Amino acid sequence: MPEEYTSLVSALKALTQGTAPDPVITLPMAENEWNTRPDADSYGIVALDFEADALYGDNLKQITAYEGSVDLFSRSKDGAGWVELIVATLTEYCEGAWSLNSHQYERENNIFHWEWVFQVEG
Amino acid sequence: MPFMIDISGMKELQEKINKLKEKSQNAAAMALYEGARIVADEVGRSVQGITTEPFHYAKSGEKRKPSPEEKAAIVGSPHGVARFRKKLERIDTSVGWNHAGYVDVNWNHMNSKARTNYKAVNFKGSSHTASSTLKWIREQGGSEKYGLSQDIGRHAQNQKPVGAIANAINSGTSFMEKQPFMRKAFNRSKNEAVEKIEQELEKRIEEMIQD
Repeated sequence: MPEEYTSLVSALKALTQGTAPDPVITLPMAENEWNTRPDADSYGIVALDFEADALYGDNLKQITAYEGSVDLFSRSKDGAGWVELIVATLTEYCEGAWSLNSHQYERENNIFHWEWVFQVEG
Repeated sequence: MPFMIDISGMKELQEKINKLKEKSQNAAAMALYEGARIVADEVGRSVQGITTEPFHYAKSGEKRKPSPEEKAAIVGSPHGVARFRKKLERIDTSVGWNHAGYVDVNWNHMNSKARTNYKAVNFKGSSHTASSTLKWIREQGGSEKYGLSQDIGRHAQNQKPVGAIANAINSGTSFMEKQPFMRKAFNRSKNEAVEKIEQELEKRIEEMIQD
């Protein structure tokens, strides 16, 4: 994984600026840093899912809004602190254009799953 | 000098105003239904875009795509607009799968439905039970002919809840790759649906006034 993807913000930037080779970025998370341990008990996936809206002017697409999602999978009930970090990052990077879409529990695997949806200008 | 004004028809006017409230709720519900129908149709189209791969258990740290059988379970299950809910002055509804408790997925188990009167629409487009859909797939050559995995009909046999499968594909899980077909469908249809609701409301309000 490229070094610049080790934080949520850099992953979001790479996705929205089209510099990411893959539209889905997985960020294993553990301890105090992202991408420190592949078998981490918590990991996140940031993805741009689809083009949500566009503004046209002068026969050209002037602004494109993309809808994406951040998924956090964690064995910890409180997300091992990543929930607060993701919420703070989304608030800063996406301003108000995000929401918690779902919060689920996989009984078979004992994993908690948070799913945030955001919109960013591409 | 004192004077008096006689106003007639006040009682009738009052009755008409009282009826308007009742009629306006019906009009709102009818308009909402027209909008929700557009969203439901788009969800139906969006499901077709789910990509699949033959079933296999995901290795640790990897995610798999849904199997063709899982997609077939969703495609073959009835979906549409839920029963309308009235909350105080508000009317709302949901779009999704019958067995999924609609968009706000709950975990109803399809098993109980299957024992009663579960109906699914198979690839031929006609209405069948889940088991007859499975039988039809086998009769048509089963997994090999359609490039499906060998455990075809696994979900029909095990009666896995369609809602849970749809939710796993839409939101992703620790073992399933995410394909947000519901959000895509909502996004694609929202403008048209809102426009339709506005049009229908205007039309129905006009009819109410002229009544």
